[in-house]
Amino acid sequence: MIAVLGLVLGVALGLLLQPAVPVWLDPYLPIAVVAALDAVFGALRAFLDGIFDDKVFVVSFVSNVLIAALIVYLGDQLGVGGQLSTGVIVVLGIRIFSNVAAIRRHLLHA
Amino acid sequence: MAVDQRRPEQAARPVPDAPPQAVRGLLEHLTSTSLDEDYAHVSRRRAAAADAQPSRPDRPGRATAVLAVFGVLVATAAVQTSRDADASATSREALVDQANARKTQLAQRRTRVQALQSEIAALEASGLEATTDGRAAQQQLTRLGVLAGSRPTEGAGIRVLVDDAPDAPSFRQQVQAPDLQKLVNALWLVGAEAVAVNGQRVTSLTSIRDAAGAITVNFVSLRRPYTVAAIGNPTTMGGRLLDSAGGQTWVTLQSTFGLGFEVETVESMVLPAARRLDLRAARAPGGRR
Repeated sequence: MIAVLGLVLGVALGLLLQPAVPVWLDPYLPIAVVAALDAVFGALRAFLDGIFDDKVFVVSFVSNVLIAALIVYLGDQLGVGGQLSTGVIVVLGIRIFSNVAAIRRHLLHA
Repeated sequence: MAVDQRRPEQAARPVPDAPPQAVRGLLEHLTSTSLDEDYAHVSRRRAAAADAQPSRPDRPGRATAVLAVFGVLVATAAVQTSRDADASATSREALVDQANARKTQLAQRRTRVQALQSEIAALEASGLEATTDGRAAQQQLTRLGVLAGSRPTEGAGIRVLVDDAPDAPSFRQQVQAPDLQKLVNALWLVGAEAVAVNGQRVTSLTSIRDAAGAITVNFVSLRRPYTVAAIGNPTTMGGRLLDSAGGQTWVTLQSTFGLGFEVETVESMVLPAARRLDLRAARAPGGRR
């Protein structure tokens, strides 16, 4: 419950402050958000499975965001940034979908 | 030798103790490991340790902080995207403004070019009027200008109205560029001094041709009906036109395919100058270069 409050607080903070994103960071922000989304849904599923651990969540969140940004950065340097972004989005998207499916099974028993 | 014989058998059958991701498809692997294995690993370890130690207290602080960071991330990305959308819309508007400004500028420059051209013509005329030689040159210039189409020409003449047959189903019943060419050539033959098709002055550099289903004169697409105006002797040109080969062609077109063909005399009309004539060669009077 407190965690949801944290999420709401974060969104409100972001909307209120509207931090300026440096130009060099601009391409990595969307992919970082998708990676973070994957970590968050994974945590929610683990929570419902009863095996949630905050340390694992923090580590998976940070590493997901950093690795996603790193892959896109590498791709940009190699000239295949667009394709690599697509690959990352596909993999994360599949994970998000199957995690959400597990969450749905937990919540709706269907 | 024995090793070589065994190899294909091995390749066909999966190795029994291979890790699961080696034998499963990529998508299947992704789906089955969508939850980080660390959660299961840590919970197993904690379950094993639970007997020895009391379970550690729940600390929701860290997860809350990370979720707050996630919220900031999402909000920032959304704000950034909408800001970028604003920027691209602004740049589009700026481009439209620029294009409009340039259009206005172009129109102003064109007006100025016209004003300067008429000024040049007036200066030319006044300069030539001053001397006898000049007046002779002016007369010659006017005569040549009429024939070359470089100046507007006024006078009596005939007007030929041609058109497609009503509800023309086939191209045979429509006016084609060669038909117009024959008509214009016939008009030159019967003594026309100046000819224009739908207001496009015909000069020695004019092409009359088909382009994308429309007849193009001076690179301007024309629409039917076509009005071919010719300045010359109005009393004789009409009759001579019908006697000429080009006129005969048109009489045949009219009777066979039903194309519109009408000749009328005009007391006075003005044919515009050709839109553009470049000076290609010049010579000073008296043969000096």
